[in-house]
Amino acid sequence: MRSTELTEQIQGSLKEVVAYADELRDLDQALGDGDLGITITLGAGAVIEALAEIPQDASPSEIARACAKAFANANPSTMAALVAGGLLAGSKVWKDVEDVDIRAAARFVRAAGENIAQRGKTQIGDKTIVDAIMPAADALDAGDDGTSGLDAAISAAEKAVIDTRSLRSRRGRAAWLQERSIGLQDPGATAMLRFLESWRTASVRTKS
Amino acid sequence: MKKIINNPVDFVDEMIEGIILAHPSKLKTPGEDPRIMVRSDAPVKGKVGIVTGGGSGHLPLFKGYVGQGLCSGVAIGNVFSSPSSQQCFEATKAVDGGAGVLYLYGNYGGDVFNFDLAADLAELEDIETRTVVGRDDVASQPKDNRLERRGVAGLIFAYKAAGAAAERGDSLDEVAAAAEDIVDNTATMGIGLSPTILPTTAALSFDLPDGEMEIGIGIHGEPGIHRGALESADAITDRLVGALVEDLELADGDRVAVLVNGMGATPLEELYVMYRRVHQKLSGHGVTIQKNYIGEYATSLEMAGASISLLKLNDERLALLEAPASSPFFLEV
Repeated sequence: MRSTELTEQIQGSLKEVVAYADELRDLDQALGDGDLGITITLGAGAVIEALAEIPQDASPSEIARACAKAFANANPSTMAALVAGGLLAGSKVWKDVEDVDIRAAARFVRAAGENIAQRGKTQIGDKTIVDAIMPAADALDAGDDGTSGLDAAISAAEKAVIDTRSLRSRRGRAAWLQERSIGLQDPGATAMLRFLESWRTASVRTKS
Repeated sequence: MKKIINNPVDFVDEMIEGIILAHPSKLKTPGEDPRIMVRSDAPVKGKVGIVTGGGSGHLPLFKGYVGQGLCSGVAIGNVFSSPSSQQCFEATKAVDGGAGVLYLYGNYGGDVFNFDLAADLAELEDIETRTVVGRDDVASQPKDNRLERRGVAGLIFAYKAAGAAAERGDSLDEVAAAAEDIVDNTATMGIGLSPTILPTTAALSFDLPDGEMEIGIGIHGEPGIHRGALESADAITDRLVGALVEDLELADGDRVAVLVNGMGATPLEELYVMYRRVHQKLSGHGVTIQKNYIGEYATSLEMAGASISLLKLNDERLALLEAPASSPFFLEV
């Protein structure tokens, strides 16, 4: 996937993902401060707008960086900064990439997840977005092509999201709930899953 | 709880408002968020900016060290709480004069988290940043784990040196190196006599029975390394200085700067009683004091207690300490 297609794919995915804003808000209200819905809605809008302005000859790395900047500034919050930092880390592994294939996608997702984990001092199992990102990166890495890799990543993220229900939140505001967080589904991990699903929906739509 | 406050939730904002009203020629609020304060002449074009930050409740730390030859800006959190990543980032933008920005603050999880996120946000705006964290509290971790130590009063040595380096036009890497060099040669240990009362919850920062002292206490009331019956000023000072001399491996002929810092409720007179003993002890080791600071530099609201910081000096460090600096809370002429 080259720059033009990548830009359209991101924009298409973000148009889809806002449909999940209410779900994410509700999950976040139970565990956090409830601003994840608005972070996603405003962030997605800002990224779509920023990509509409991006030069035709922008590289995938520059596109990812523009997404990070727009997302960070749309609705400033810790989550927005973490995601923006993740996208920035991803943009760096795409420095020489012109054609984004499944391997490049895997490297991007892994770098983003590692940056978020490092910034947040978070490990898999702490009940955060990282729980869904890392298995998705593994699945993308093991995939044969874009379609099957994405399907596998969605399955892996979905399993991770369901698994977060039985976990206790160990990071962020949610950690204050301690054992009361058990039983609640992690909003960050869910956001990652919904983004991957939106990517698939948008990609099916482009191809049909 | 007896405090001169209005609504406790307004405490931090009203305190900041007072500082800005009192010192309009030296400090300003660059944007809409009152929790960010910068030098009135920020951004200074072509010079490295220095942003510090941390929780309130420690004045003159952190906001008292924004000024000429010191930090350029500060992001201010609630009492004993980190500022947000966005506030750290806004402060960064407000002080960036095109030569990059150094983040210089104490080593606490929340502050590290938010400043690191701000560094990513700054990078997206093409502002180069470096980070140096104060980690001088020798009681918080043993020496072989010193990178994990908390930052306390000794941070002011790093402010002074980094601020002087930035003022004379050093590059970002040079300013960061000057700060790191100071941090590597600074050691602090504190003693607590009575706790702080947190304004919003009225909770005590720590429990300490009457007549007892806590050696190695942190500036939020973190537990130290020894609790026992209160001792004489000389005995307390000997404990603190002994630990610092050992940590910095001071030897006959070495030179130091000394900071005897009051935590908020201990009178200046008592700090001078301590300083007298610091001088005696260091002289006994053959160590010369070339610079001293005695007073309140990093407090913990109304905590009774004190800390002693030593900075091992060389000519370069001394020159940076002696360079001119001016803020509403700190003056070096």
